[in-house]
Amino acid sequence: MVPMFQEDGSSSVTSSSPLQFFSMMSPSLGSPYPWLRELKSEERGLYLIHLLLTCGNHVAAGSLEHANIALEQISQLASPDGDTMQRIAAYFTEALAHRILKAWPGLHKALNNTRIGLVSDEILVQKLFFDMFPFLKVAFVLTNQAIIEAMEGEKMVHIIDLNAAEPAQWIALLQDLSARPEGPPHLRITGIHQQKEVLDQMAHRLTEEAEKLDIPFQFNSIVSKLDHLDIEKLRVKTGEALAICSTFQLHTLLASDDELLRKRSPLALKNSNGMYLQRVLQMNQSTLGELIEKDLGNGYSPSTDSASSSPVSANASIKMDSFLNSLWGLSPKLMVVTEQDSNHNGSTLMERLLEALYSYAALFDCLESTVPRTSLERFKVEKMLFGEEIKNIISCEGGERKERHEKLEKWIQRLDLACFENVPLSYAGMLQARRLLQSYKCDGYKMKEENRCVLICWQDRPLFSVSAWRCRK
Amino acid sequence: MATNRFLCEICGKGFQRDQNLQLHRRGHNLPWKLKQRTSKEVRKRVYVCPEKTCVHHHPSRALGDLTGIKKHFCRKHGEKKWKCEKCSKRYAVQSDWKAHSKTCGTREYKCDCGTIFSRRDSFITHRAFCDALAEETARVNAASTMNLAVGNNISYHLMGTPLGPSMAQHFSSIFKPISGTTDETIDQTSRGLSLWMGSQGNNNNLQEIHQLGSVSSGAIFGTDPIVSITNNPSPPQADYQLNWVFGSKLPTSNAEALASTSLPLSDVKESVTQLVSVPSLYSSQQQSSHQAHSSANMSATALLQKAAQIGATSTDPSFLGSFGFKSNSNQVQEGNKYCGLVYGSNTIASGLGSDHHVVLENSVSSDHISTLNQLQMYPAKRRHLQSEDSNGGGQTRDFLGVGVQAISCHPSSINGWI
Repeated sequence: MVPMFQEDGSSSVTSSSPLQFFSMMSPSLGSPYPWLRELKSEERGLYLIHLLLTCGNHVAAGSLEHANIALEQISQLASPDGDTMQRIAAYFTEALAHRILKAWPGLHKALNNTRIGLVSDEILVQKLFFDMFPFLKVAFVLTNQAIIEAMEGEKMVHIIDLNAAEPAQWIALLQDLSARPEGPPHLRITGIHQQKEVLDQMAHRLTEEAEKLDIPFQFNSIVSKLDHLDIEKLRVKTGEALAICSTFQLHTLLASDDELLRKRSPLALKNSNGMYLQRVLQMNQSTLGELIEKDLGNGYSPSTDSASSSPVSANASIKMDSFLNSLWGLSPKLMVVTEQDSNHNGSTLMERLLEALYSYAALFDCLESTVPRTSLERFKVEKMLFGEEIKNIISCEGGERKERHEKLEKWIQRLDLACFENVPLSYAGMLQARRLLQSYKCDGYKMKEENRCVLICWQDRPLFSVSAWRCRK
Repeated sequence: MATNRFLCEICGKGFQRDQNLQLHRRGHNLPWKLKQRTSKEVRKRVYVCPEKTCVHHHPSRALGDLTGIKKHFCRKHGEKKWKCEKCSKRYAVQSDWKAHSKTCGTREYKCDCGTIFSRRDSFITHRAFCDALAEETARVNAASTMNLAVGNNISYHLMGTPLGPSMAQHFSSIFKPISGTTDETIDQTSRGLSLWMGSQGNNNNLQEIHQLGSVSSGAIFGTDPIVSITNNPSPPQADYQLNWVFGSKLPTSNAEALASTSLPLSDVKESVTQLVSVPSLYSSQQQSSHQAHSSANMSATALLQKAAQIGATSTDPSFLGSFGFKSNSNQVQEGNKYCGLVYGSNTIASGLGSDHHVVLENSVSSDHISTLNQLQMYPAKRRHLQSEDSNGGGQTRDFLGVGVQAISCHPSSINGWI
């Protein structure tokens, strides 16, 4: 592969990137002539898209030989340190390759056994995402403002953070609360996370801050996966005002459904959450009927890849519904949900591939416009955060596929069905958020309101949604 | 509760007995008069204290009621069993203890130097001579002058556009202000907003912050040095603020922030220091080429839209056909050699803009031609590599056509392999 190009005499490798060690991996087809390089880039980009879709089609159809050829071609053009499209292609091809590899489960496991997922890396990459983009900050501003407004006059406030990773959000809230005219409330925050270190760190920071501000404060740590969360552990007390904050967490609950549906028959669903599921079943007669008719015993086989058994309708998600139900049972005064706003939960590979291409194109474009190509932080975010998400969306199925992002309208439907009522985000919060976006001095970041919720966009593409809810009586 | 019929005219405090009111009036420096008990009615005093050493043991100093003598005995000669929770005072009589705990800590006069007084008069006396007071006034004066000086600048830098006091007022209506003054409102606003403000690449700002030595209370995410000046620099805050510059681009701030947090982010520290070394080495070099790239490079989103336009992103089986085949018919007409050789559809070629064509026409040289030849060879080599049957195509075979040919075993039926 590489020698072939050097035979041609194209000596572009050294001139395109100072990072020699990267460029050896990825010969770009550019030549010393800039105009050719420009042309090449767009052309190459279009060709990459074409190849990706071709490959995707092959994989979906099970023609692995053809998919292999496509992968080879893409690999010659894609590069994790090239231009935007090259980078995107690099991660998508990796995801497709993983998917193909799963046809040989032994091979796949053998290759993945020695991979270490460093906790510190995961923590770092989340921090990078927080720092490099305004998205999380905007979500935090909106969340905190909604909390402050809902908790006006409350003396005892309890906040449950479904993914307590970033102390900055709560530090800001502590500061805002201490400036309340009626004085700060007694604040309790319960943080849920899978790593104890993260929670310890958070407890330390927040307690320190609360002491400085002289706010009566308590932090409770719960080390748990969200789908195994024991609601009793949250210890919600009567008399305290409860707020729940969910940032990029709810969509992972949609993943457990495939396993459930595969194992049990649909009729068995009535046993748990009786009344509630009854309603779901009534509303989704047709879709569940389809499910019953489908061969649920298929399991995951590469040859019939496109017939992966994920539920057709978004509403038939038992795990999600029962979780929302139990949250509703806690009678929260407020629940703020931040989610990715893309449909990455299509049932077929091609659907997800196409949608993911658009949304990650926007994210990669955003990085291209705001961070230099040589930035290692950018590389880490692209590889360890976006790359992993893409891998999950493309190469995983069933219970493994956790990144089931959905559009805002689906979330609205779902939460509405779970007896939550939308609370419009306040003007004050929106104003603060807009100011924050403006301070980034990049006009690609946009914010718009839809259905009384907020969508944070890059150019025209909505990427994240923030919405606030309360229990409907 | 019994009514407090006797009211002080100065402060309105109520008392159940006139005597207590009179004693209270002494505190206001008002004339007071205690009514003496008339000696007309003589009360029999029969209770004497059993304790021999006590003054009240003698009948001439006997007390009138049983409860009274009991209390006296406990107070003077008894063990102090009742202790106040808040302070260290102990009492022998339960009612004394109760009465005390009602008022303990409710009214305390606290001097700025930290001393606490329960009595107003002693508090006032102390204050007059307290040294700390002098210091405080000095500090307050200094801070207020700074606020005034930088006041207008704050709003300017924060908002990005020059704002008059009207904007500050607007903000005060939205953010709950602590006091009514404009300065404080701006303070409040800056504190609230600067929490979140953080544009990237503010390397200069961070350096300034370090030089100043203290960072504002609001600059959790913010890197704006102007903000740091506005708030009163108080030492405890400075420490934790440096913690909050965590994750920013400067290596020094990262190291400091990480060093000050004790917890298990030691690996993070290493990787972070690795992180920042690379960009600093290459950033200057990359600048020029980056600029060149960004000016002419289409964003990935735009590329996708373009591909969709020419049908490439539809899942319709014919999309590849349109992408690949269109080119064939139009190549010859293009009249532009390199386009025909290498690039596919007509729309792409035209979409790239006429400026490129112009460049080619004007500056055809032997170098260019050799490059074109190289590119020509590329499709051919690919065919070799794939070692598939390929129809003997001329140089007019399009780039994408190769792909189609290579993959498909049946060139005639494109639909087959989708």
